[in-house]
Amino acid sequence: MPGLLELQRALAGALLEENAPVAWPHIAEDEFTAAERLAIYRNTCRSTLVETLRMSYPAVERIVGPEFFDVAAERYVAAHPAHSGYLNEYGGEFAAFLGGFEPARALAYLPDVARFEWALSVAANAPDVPVLEPGVLLSVEPDQHADVRFAPHPSVSCLDLGHPADEIADAVLAGDDAAMAQIDLAPRALFLVAHRGPSGLETERLSARAYEFVWRLFAGEPLGRVLDAAPEQAPMLLAQQLSKGRLSAYRVGA
Amino acid sequence: MIPAAAGIGLRFPHHRAVLEERPAAAWFEVHAENYFGGGTPLEYLDAIRRDYAVSLHGVGLSLGSVGGLDERHLSRLGSLVKRIEPGLVSEHLAWTAVDGTHFADLLPLPLTEETLSVVAHNLKVTQDFLGRQILLENPSSYLRYRGSTIPEWEFMSEVAERTDCGILCDVNNIFVSACNHRFDARQYLRRLPAQRIGEIHLAGHRLRRLEDGRSIRIDDHGSRVCPEVWALYVDAVTLFGRVPTLIEWDTDVPPLAVLLDEAAQAESFMSSEPTDARTA
Repeated sequence: MPGLLELQRALAGALLEENAPVAWPHIAEDEFTAAERLAIYRNTCRSTLVETLRMSYPAVERIVGPEFFDVAAERYVAAHPAHSGYLNEYGGEFAAFLGGFEPARALAYLPDVARFEWALSVAANAPDVPVLEPGVLLSVEPDQHADVRFAPHPSVSCLDLGHPADEIADAVLAGDDAAMAQIDLAPRALFLVAHRGPSGLETERLSARAYEFVWRLFAGEPLGRVLDAAPEQAPMLLAQQLSKGRLSAYRVGA
Repeated sequence: MIPAAAGIGLRFPHHRAVLEERPAAAWFEVHAENYFGGGTPLEYLDAIRRDYAVSLHGVGLSLGSVGGLDERHLSRLGSLVKRIEPGLVSEHLAWTAVDGTHFADLLPLPLTEETLSVVAHNLKVTQDFLGRQILLENPSSYLRYRGSTIPEWEFMSEVAERTDCGILCDVNNIFVSACNHRFDARQYLRRLPAQRIGEIHLAGHRLRRLEDGRSIRIDDHGSRVCPEVWALYVDAVTLFGRVPTLIEWDTDVPPLAVLLDEAAQAESFMSSEPTDARTA
């Protein structure tokens, strides 16, 4: 009998890969073989992760149908083990996976819909963190405003997409075929910011300049540099980010 | 404080019904990890906690991991405990993570002296971090290791002795494992230290029959408690007296009324025991 760590590594191998017999000699066999007993655990581990993806990507599932979704999700799960016991963190690379998933190639907008849904999932599950008051800059000396760096609320995501994923997700989840038929699915730039505000999940479409501004702002660049992205709209854009509760901290200087 | 009465496992589909209908449930237990984020789920739990006793049941801490506990996981659990002020906190005798890879199931441990040290150490770390006693739950299992040297009931008792933790006795898990591994479920119950039992779990499971005639019991928490488990529960109540008892239901979650009905059934068995057997 190996030590506990070695045994757990052998079990891990058997749970991730069907033909990994290293653990078999350590498992008692009777009417069921070690491989059969391990398969029960492997199936539960996999199906739980598939269901986790199903919860996070309902619009993707509606678009491709449950059978296709199961195939894609199982393939993803096999290649992407979980790295946290908090399963809401699982599945963040599903959009990138779908982008390279040959059977879904005809649905060029699918990865963008997945990106959009992941942003909603992140927004929904982000921790409760206090947000900055709209008048926060009043407590900073005016000559230091250019050096102020903000931190976004953990629910915030910026999305630089190539398809109208928000409209597509809304239409398919509403089962509105007429609305879906009206959507122009041709590639075009779409800039979104998603977050969880006081009244729930919000997504907002932004112009390219406004997006550049909020992206820099949320990346923690100093305000003086952020303002360059959209000098005329800057005061209004900054006020919006504060009033919507998208900023949770600031510091002055490096 | 969790009353020595029958409570029910609270899942997302019932959040709203609980707040709107205020059912006469004695208490609720939730999976801690379902509330590690913020937003709506936590708002519901806060609101429910204002009117009900709540217990936190962890499924992902991996007390059996050799490399120690995931600090982020423990810290999230700690924050939730601080916010909810639960009557009980529990985790499983299981492992779910190795080398940074997490598995979405409660995996069985070889029951050896080494494992005993690992589990006792991790459990102590958890209790020290949370600043409170936790309960350790016996798992259901579908495999045993050739190298196990300690019977599970003895292992549970020894961990409790070394760490001063309580025991969450899952009667359904004992039944499932006893059937799958052919041991005497009643003997298991009798060997547990009655004074350490802080909670009992009850749930439904599934008998999976294979075409070749073999069968195995799968602990899917997807049906009513079966008659054999109720019978074992009566034995448990006789041995342990009145302790908080939970109805768990995780797959194909039925209407709240069904869970309340199961809890009422547990309550009726509990009430037929005249005294606390542990103090009699």
